[in-house]
Amino acid sequence: MRMTGGKQVMLHLCVLVLIAIVLFPSVLLVFNALKTETEIFNHPLGVPRSPTLQNLRSVALDTTFVVNLRNSAIVGLCTVLIVVIVTAPAGYALSRFKFRGRTLFSTLLLATQAFPGIIMALGLLTVLITYGLVNRLPGLIIMHAGFSMPFSIWLLKGYFDEIPVALEESSWIDGCTRLQSLTRIVLPLAVPGLLGVATFTLLLSWGEFFFALVVMRSPEMYTLPVFLAHFVGSGGIVEWGPLSTAGLLTALPPVILFVFGQRYLISGLTRGALK
Amino acid sequence: MRSGQRASSQGLRALPFLVPALIVFSMMNLYPLIHGISRSFYAYHARARADVFVGWENFTLLFDDPTFFRALSNNILWTVVSVAAMFIFSYALATLLNSKYLRFRRAFQAAAIIPWALPRVVVSLIWRYIFLPDGALNAMLAGVGIQGPGWLTDPSLALWTCAVANMWIGVPFVTVMLLAGLQSLDGEMLEAAVVDGASYFQTQVRVILPSIRRVIIIVLMLEAIWTFNGFEIVFVMTQGGPGNASMLLPLYGYLNAFMYYQPGYGAAIGVVSLVLVLGAIALYIREVLK
Repeated sequence: MRMTGGKQVMLHLCVLVLIAIVLFPSVLLVFNALKTETEIFNHPLGVPRSPTLQNLRSVALDTTFVVNLRNSAIVGLCTVLIVVIVTAPAGYALSRFKFRGRTLFSTLLLATQAFPGIIMALGLLTVLITYGLVNRLPGLIIMHAGFSMPFSIWLLKGYFDEIPVALEESSWIDGCTRLQSLTRIVLPLAVPGLLGVATFTLLLSWGEFFFALVVMRSPEMYTLPVFLAHFVGSGGIVEWGPLSTAGLLTALPPVILFVFGQRYLISGLTRGALK
Repeated sequence: MRSGQRASSQGLRALPFLVPALIVFSMMNLYPLIHGISRSFYAYHARARADVFVGWENFTLLFDDPTFFRALSNNILWTVVSVAAMFIFSYALATLLNSKYLRFRRAFQAAAIIPWALPRVVVSLIWRYIFLPDGALNAMLAGVGIQGPGWLTDPSLALWTCAVANMWIGVPFVTVMLLAGLQSLDGEMLEAAVVDGASYFQTQVRVILPSIRRVIIIVLMLEAIWTFNGFEIVFVMTQGGPGNASMLLPLYGYLNAFMYYQPGYGAAIGVVSLVLVLGAIALYIREVLK
């Protein structure tokens, strides 16, 4: 099979158009973050003429952005820590042991994808009220951990399935317990899987909006998505310059993380869906 | 799995590994689900300052609520249309990105998936700006002499404007999954189809699509469920308006539960949503466990 020159040009043109559609909104976000309010509406499509840091200054000084950024970081990192600690042994058990209820447990883990946010939020709120965790970071952390855990267990099980049991068996002969063979042999080999789970969980927690909206009631407790939604939806005139700057700063950490973590996450996601 | 080990003895040894996950799962997934569903049978009673049991009343009220039916039909339309558009766009993109004649293929593939990492609220606010009356899209249209409509303020357009943003958000994930599917295909099988005289269209429909059927079902079901339960986009872009033109079930449930102080009614809306996605989640689970 050969491809004629004309067809090859068409192929590249089509790809360029589709990629442009994919990238255009992000470019616009960067541009708007660097423009003044008047320039945003007088020259909506142009490159910033004299990039300004005025928006950055007003976001940092006049809003709760900085403290909300800190909240997002604390919630994200703590959620990742909890999820990794809880899901690694569970993924190992699903991969290595045959036990009654194994299929039921797997089914329930996968079924959580369908649980509507409104039902979960109402149910979780009761849990949080019971433990006095409404409007507090630990409350949101355990919500995000519960949200991320089912799929993370499933991802890790897939990684563990590919590590040969034979590698562990020799260590059992030397007197290692199951827990020791998990921590000394399996986990070091499953580091890509753990990085995939960490990436998945951090992206999920950083972008999660609904639970945070429901349980974080005072502005200094907001995470960044809630901050942004209140910024844009507070009625009256929306200031697009500062808003875009805040949006850009919210998007940068997960984008940078994703550049490094994507291959671990994607290999975990695709491995389960192929074959 | 070593032979001769019985399930029951393995169960005892598996338990310590499962306990932390079982505790978190019961507390943060199962209990909230059951408790949340049970709240749909209660209503907040102002004088008693507590929830009182009302049986099926929240559900019978739903059937007399025109806003609920508006949200329901919007929800179904928005899910079907935006997931279909997402799939067509992503399938085209994945097919092009898989071509061995494409230069800088790695760079293009990397560029296509970057938006995956963008938080949904950020994406929603960018699209809200794009669709403003004096926003980016209408500026483009004005450049070619067209007066653009009020994308977010016209009741007949608002829902579809939101659907564009939803489609865009799903593209990276669907493209990555389909691309992985296409990359796993056997090149000889495709060449055999061409040698047998199959046209491009025939090869797509008879050979390629059936061979990646599993990954297609998985991504379509996941995206359908996520879209059906989607909240951020309409919350940020239109708040369900103008009127109830872009009202969706998750937003209507949220408004009832947390703005109108009717948690039972909000829960009932959630229960209806759950019932409506049961088929999709069953299909998804069946394919994943296969």
